[in-house]
Amino acid sequence: MKFNQFRYIIDESVGMLRRRMAANLIAVVIMGLSLLILAAFLLVTLNISGVIEKTSKETRVFIYLEDGTGEEVSREIYSRGMGIEEVEEVVFISRDEALANFRQALGEESDLLDALEGNPLPDAYRLKLKPGYIRSKVMERIAAQAAEWPGVEEVRYGRKWFERGEKLVRGFYIVDLALGLIVFLSVIFVISNTVRLTILNRRRAIDIMKLVGATNAYIQVPFIIEGALQGMVSSLLAGVLLFTLFQVAGRYIPGLVFIRTDAVSGFVVFCAALGALGSFSAMRRHLKL
Amino acid sequence: MTPDKRIIAAVYHLSKDLGKHFKLQDINLQIANGEFVFLVGPSGAGKSTLLRMMYMDDYPASGQVVVGKFVSTRMRRKTIPNLRRKIGIIFQDFRLLEDRTVFENIALAMKVTGTGMGEIKRQMTEILTRVGLYHKRYDYPPALSGGEQQRVAIARAIANRPAVLLADEPTGNLDPAATKNILELLFKINAGGTAVLMATHDIDLVKSFGQRIIYLEEGRIVRDKEMIYVGDIRDRIDQSKVSRRAEMLSDHEITDGGKE
Repeated sequence: MKFNQFRYIIDESVGMLRRRMAANLIAVVIMGLSLLILAAFLLVTLNISGVIEKTSKETRVFIYLEDGTGEEVSREIYSRGMGIEEVEEVVFISRDEALANFRQALGEESDLLDALEGNPLPDAYRLKLKPGYIRSKVMERIAAQAAEWPGVEEVRYGRKWFERGEKLVRGFYIVDLALGLIVFLSVIFVISNTVRLTILNRRRAIDIMKLVGATNAYIQVPFIIEGALQGMVSSLLAGVLLFTLFQVAGRYIPGLVFIRTDAVSGFVVFCAALGALGSFSAMRRHLKL
Repeated sequence: MTPDKRIIAAVYHLSKDLGKHFKLQDINLQIANGEFVFLVGPSGAGKSTLLRMMYMDDYPASGQVVVGKFVSTRMRRKTIPNLRRKIGIIFQDFRLLEDRTVFENIALAMKVTGTGMGEIKRQMTEILTRVGLYHKRYDYPPALSGGEQQRVAIARAIANRPAVLLADEPTGNLDPAATKNILELLFKINAGGTAVLMATHDIDLVKSFGQRIIYLEEGRIVRDKEMIYVGDIRDRIDQSKVSRRAEMLSDHEITDGGKE
């Protein structure tokens, strides 16, 4: 008896998917497109925050030494720099090195430097902060501290630029989070509504099944399987569409990264669970099963 | 216990408010095993609601419904499917799954009980022959006439050999020929031992058959008329009572309907 029931439930599920192919396809397309919007949003956020992170990682604090600072004082500055908790690395850049770098940066215009008498650039130390400490407050404190050291002429870290950037990034994340929330809620709404309509469309059939004495499991399992499959297929559809868009966009914008594979699989599993849960709760609420 | 004496379905002091102008009031009725009963009343009298309470799609506010071993006041949601498998139900609008064949529609009732496919196929031949649709077993309901669709519904209702068949205006959508055909089929099923309770608004249709008729008006049973005629094999009442009642043409309030 048990085995037959089980087999019939599987039969029902397969039969339902076969019979309702057209309706399922429409639902999958609707859900797939809304998921695409969500996924595209996540991808854009991912790439922008990647750029932000990369840029902020490249931020350094420069300590310029007074002209004619002796080696002992210079070494003292190095060890003081290393002594700061947030500092990961201290690199000495000699004035000659700095000039060479400058020349290289100027490229074709480098002959401008030939007009100079000698090297106007000072020796310097470049401080790299540990990740997570790259904040204007930390840098300001370090800069103020280092400015007091003997032999230090000036400390720079692109303060204005950095503070503005920091504000911009904060603003971006707030707007992004708000938009993300709206997009997420809309997608959940679209999906749950699609599932609800699917179930309401089948109300008559469900009532008939109840009438002939079908158990809740017999009625519900096919719908739950259908919901899970809809979620899975539509998220895969969204993934494929997004990847296509990503490839096209990659031709114009270099350095784009795609969502990690494990995150993609997580997304698919999440959508499948959402579809199954949606079917289940829609039946609970609207059909009093 | 001889099946003839057993009460297969009963309603005791059933009451329920169903909106402003519509309520069922103190309904009492008993249906014996193998009995055929018409439930007659104008639309809005509460026939469908009463039937729904008998297959426990709705519950009385007070009083109780007993069908077989199922008692409405002790009913748990989980056991409703078990009740539905023990009774057959048909409607005016047939309620068939239109995207499944005749065979699949009927098989559904057996599948939900876990009957094996071999057994289903074996019984199906007999059931389809009984309702005269063997040749249309692979047709889809929309391709069938109303009468044929109702016969599919009846086949589905009797597939699990129910002790009682509830019919809610089963001929309401049918032409006179199909109506006659369906009634004959119901009588045939009744002759096989299944009790039938058929609700209809059409008094003229049923009064000539000489079966017990319960009249429902504005939510009350106003008459429970039992016409007994010679040769009724399921006559549960001894001959002296029969003759006395026959004389009176026995229009009486329901107090002993269905009881020995």
